[in-house]
Amino acid sequence: MKTESLIDMLACQAGPAPRAMAARRLTPAVAGGLALGVAGALGWIGPIPAELYADPGPWIKLGYAGLLAAAALWWVARLGRPAAPVAAPMRAAGAVVVAMGLLGAAALLAVPGGERMDTVLGHSWAECPVSVLLLSLPTLAGAFWALRGLAPTRLRLAGFAAGVLAGAVGAFSYALSCDELAPSFVAVWYTAGIGAAGLLGALLGPRLLRW
Amino acid sequence: MTLDDARDDFESGLKPLWLLAQAGDETAYREALRRIAVRLRSYLRRRMQSLPDDLEDLVQETLLALHLQRGTHDPALPVSNWVLAIARHKLVDLWRRRGRQEALHDPLDELEDHAMPVAVEEGSARRDLGQLLQELPEAQRRAIVLTKIEGLSVAEAAQRTGASESAIKVQVHRGLKRLAAKVKEESP
Repeated sequence: MKTESLIDMLACQAGPAPRAMAARRLTPAVAGGLALGVAGALGWIGPIPAELYADPGPWIKLGYAGLLAAAALWWVARLGRPAAPVAAPMRAAGAVVVAMGLLGAAALLAVPGGERMDTVLGHSWAECPVSVLLLSLPTLAGAFWALRGLAPTRLRLAGFAAGVLAGAVGAFSYALSCDELAPSFVAVWYTAGIGAAGLLGALLGPRLLRW
Repeated sequence: MTLDDARDDFESGLKPLWLLAQAGDETAYREALRRIAVRLRSYLRRRMQSLPDDLEDLVQETLLALHLQRGTHDPALPVSNWVLAIARHKLVDLWRRRGRQEALHDPLDELEDHAMPVAVEEGSARRDLGQLLQELPEAQRRAIVLTKIEGLSVAEAAQRTGASESAIKVQVHRGLKRLAAKVKEESP
């Protein structure tokens, strides 16, 4: 087929371009991933006692994970569109992580020197990143499905951003089941789980997102 | 005229056509794709000195990808950046398929080594998309032939085949996607 005939064929009865493709794919992906993550956390680990919500601890976790998920969602949506600028969402996601790190460090300074290590490790440091990663998997699958319907040209970065998005949604879900209250615990172990999801995404991106 | 001026000219000529095309203007879309094909050919030719036989195939593969992904263009951004980002992606993918050795070559170095530009007849592809079209599942092939080659409206094609209008649209889209996938399988 000549290129000219291909052009005629593509243009013929083409109709208007589909609109809001990123939103149409990412909305069900994140909503479904969040629902499965929350169901997983509540069903598998169980909810924290309601009175814990009187402490700022759970709210800090939910705020951190929610803001990071929002920034990462923006980032993924940009990476799904060829040549769209990604610096602003990338900086936003970085700023959320840095802010959480500063909050954790400041809170740690208020703790007497001898107890700092115990504060950071809490009683569940080993379970936390693993749980966040596991609870992120439904969103990771959804975000990859969404990206496969878009046109990412930077596959590793797109995979990483999808992983961070999934990790943040996983962290949000885990926060409903995690009774650790120290901001420094959140800054280290939640971030580790989110980072692990990001690395997994970066690893899978070049393989699964080719088109 | 500098290279930047040429780029601006391309963009300023293409943008209004492209916006009409995105809104559903078929004539504007055809003209926009023609201009894009010329730009793609010169963009890819400079970077494919070592694979001259693949040039027109890659132009066609990129046009097909642009069509399938046209919903991802943000009207606030230049069309040419979006087009060339997809072309670069397709080029890198071709290099990867041809093996790492090729991918490591800097395309601009190639340009100096082979100063003689390769003459390529416009629009001559080695791979025949018409042939690949025949290999699609019957419903998809028929939907594409009726609406995109014979030029029937979706409603007319639905009447002719007895399928619903949304089914026709889905078959056309799936068929073109499968065609794009076949294109990749055919050039390992």
